[in-house]
Amino acid sequence: MILDILRKNDAEVIRHDERLIITSVPNEKLEEVAKELFSANCYYATGVGVDERGMSQGFAIYHIFNSENEGKYIVIKTFARNLTIPSITPVIEGANWAEREAMDMIGIKFDGHPEPERLILPDDWPEGLHPLRKDFPYNKRPPSIKPKSRVKKKDPNTIEVPVGPYHPALHEPESFELYIKGEEIVEAKYKGFHVHRGMEKLAESRMTINQIPFLAERICGICGFTHSCAYCQAVEDAAKIDVPERALYIRTLLLEIERIHSHLLWFGVVFHLLGFESGFMHTWRIREDFMNLAEILTGNRKTYGMNLIGGVRRAIDESKKRKVMRIVEGSKRDTVEIFDNVMGMRELLNRMENVGVLPKKEARGIGVVGPTARGSGIDTDVRIDHPYAAYGELEFKVPVYKTGDVLSRVLVRYEEVLESFWIIEQVLDQLPQGDIINENYKIPEFAIGLGATEAPRGEDVHFLITERENKVYRWHPRAPTYNNLPALPIMLVGEKLADAPVIIGSIDPCFSCTDHVSIIDAERGKILWKGPLNEGVRTWGG
Amino acid sequence: MNIIFMAINLAFALIIAPLIDGFERKVRARLQNRRGPSIFQTWWDLIKLFRRPSIEPRDSVKSFYIMAPYLTFTAILTACLILPTLLPHSLNFAGDLIVVIYMVSLATFGFSIGAFSSGNPYAQIGSSRELSLFMSEELVLAFVVGVIALISRSLSFEHLFPLPLRISSILALALLFVIIYVTSSRIPFDIPEAEPEIIEGPLIEYSGRHLALLLYFIHLKRFLLYGLFLNFILPEKPGIRIGGFLIGLVILSLVYSSLEAYYGRFRIDQAIRLMKKLSFVAFIVWIMAMVGW
Repeated sequence: MILDILRKNDAEVIRHDERLIITSVPNEKLEEVAKELFSANCYYATGVGVDERGMSQGFAIYHIFNSENEGKYIVIKTFARNLTIPSITPVIEGANWAEREAMDMIGIKFDGHPEPERLILPDDWPEGLHPLRKDFPYNKRPPSIKPKSRVKKKDPNTIEVPVGPYHPALHEPESFELYIKGEEIVEAKYKGFHVHRGMEKLAESRMTINQIPFLAERICGICGFTHSCAYCQAVEDAAKIDVPERALYIRTLLLEIERIHSHLLWFGVVFHLLGFESGFMHTWRIREDFMNLAEILTGNRKTYGMNLIGGVRRAIDESKKRKVMRIVEGSKRDTVEIFDNVMGMRELLNRMENVGVLPKKEARGIGVVGPTARGSGIDTDVRIDHPYAAYGELEFKVPVYKTGDVLSRVLVRYEEVLESFWIIEQVLDQLPQGDIINENYKIPEFAIGLGATEAPRGEDVHFLITERENKVYRWHPRAPTYNNLPALPIMLVGEKLADAPVIIGSIDPCFSCTDHVSIIDAERGKILWKGPLNEGVRTWGG
Repeated sequence: MNIIFMAINLAFALIIAPLIDGFERKVRARLQNRRGPSIFQTWWDLIKLFRRPSIEPRDSVKSFYIMAPYLTFTAILTACLILPTLLPHSLNFAGDLIVVIYMVSLATFGFSIGAFSSGNPYAQIGSSRELSLFMSEELVLAFVVGVIALISRSLSFEHLFPLPLRISSILALALLFVIIYVTSSRIPFDIPEAEPEIIEGPLIEYSGRHLALLLYFIHLKRFLLYGLFLNFILPEKPGIRIGGFLIGLVILSLVYSSLEAYYGRFRIDQAIRLMKKLSFVAFIVWIMAMVGW
């Protein structure tokens, strides 16, 4: 089906296996291909602009589609002609940000893009400088220019309420401009990308391939392990490395522990946003058990530092297994107890029911992922659609709710937590013996790899092109919130201001993760290096 | 002699009101699985704030903005003089029940005026919520006052306390219990402040001394409303009354703060709908009092 579409449009298939199709599509056929893929039920996962002059071919964009039906990712590569590529945003709304990002970072123009404005670069960044080009030194700091002043039209009937960049409901600097009449929101605008850490540039210019798992883990303070997993999978995919089965099971175990602690953290936040402080405190009490559990297994409460290319760094012995079993048993009881109480609180449920509705059609167009998509009736889960780690051998359900309101997103996450308990029990039961790492591999030059995991917030995609022995040529992580955020204005308009925090909270936004995918300020990257990573990085930080 | 007792009453109110808040914070913390701060914490906070300078925002209407905290605080202090609290002595005059209610309303009004004049959109949303909540609870309160006046044939505290035991008086007290909970802006009725939504609303721009006055007002208001409720049920014998008053304070704050720990915040329209239903109930109670139940 998908191959037919590609062949019909003169696409040249570069690689085709059970996980991935990589093709090169001519410039003029791109829009047609995108349209047909979208109607064949593939949603837009992400797009990556690459400066391929080092591979002696010019500039290119890689559009990545996810086909859940066929269980494949489709990578469509198009070269720029005179730095211009036809835009696919008119056909697929979800491509909007990815194209603007490539516009800022690589300097590719997109023909026919409906809003060709800056997305990532700050207002005072000079024109014509594109930080992810290969001839842009990673430590260059261009002088700031005077930003163009934007004239705002004021509507006397509405009040503009700025939510952010600093607001108690948002735990990271990001801003929403809400225009309200009385208590009702009539318009919502999102302005993001305040915190840029320049991770891609850093990884491409001065890190080796086996250091990046630790950098990738620091993309997120909550779900970092899933990022390092996705990165390792991308390299393992590009270099065709076999990972020992024991390592895959250990990854699965940690991924699920991470999911539980992330969801419990989120429940706490939502309860706090709804003013239910007791629920907040008690879910975080349960979460504490999982932090301890992670410490028992990895030595760290957060940022486990377990992944390397080809496997993991620590094994799990029998005594640890027993401890995990005991903790999981107790926490399961506590979680169910709290939720039974919450489900009996009518006034709390009223604040979530029919609030912040995201219809399925819009959700698909934007390409929302994870619990946000599953709350809107889209049955998508990377663990089922593109089995990775040990998920192919385990048995679990994926909850899907149709209403698309805040409550359905809450219920999806709650059932996921229960499924995760079940997955952990299975993993411990079936944990195979053997090696935990395969270090016998060679990294090919300019090989393309793609790693995807189901992070607690949704699909997490890492795209990668290798370079020579020990380096990456291009690494593009795409955190789930990047796809979920554009759906927020749809959910917010027409709702009450009082519901805005819980609606924004309901997609479990992770703003910094979204921002990481780009470079702005090399200096801010320093904050990353407070953790003991390795000597070279530490000297750089000092 | 009366004036000394009134001074004792006032001093007691000023000292004990922040302590009650400290106690409630402790209770809530224990229910939420936390240790919680010392019960003197509210006092330390206030003392710290009184030492800090106040800042007036550029967009504010300065005169109103500065006047509001003093107006609010003075109104609530006046109410403390009129209503008997620890000792059964107070400024007595005909219709003092109405004046106390009026003073509490004036304080709320001052609170909102200050917020409106701060020029901050959050404060404006907060105070408009404050006012709509206030309006909706006012109707219930009016019926409750009506019931009380009908039962004791008076609007003066001297003849009100304690209420005779009747069905309508018990129901009126139950309604009063709810109104006190709503007025003291506790979860789920802390809609005007709603920290995660509108960042403490009316209080957002206030700082230093002015903020301290407004916070002190909130604590005093809660204390005063406890006092009002207790007055209706305590016996008049002096010895028993003082003990009963102190025990009553502790019980009320225990009950109120435990309720607070087990709710989520209402949205303003939900709260108003609830108050509408309550005013209907209050109306029925009033009719019951009319027919002499």
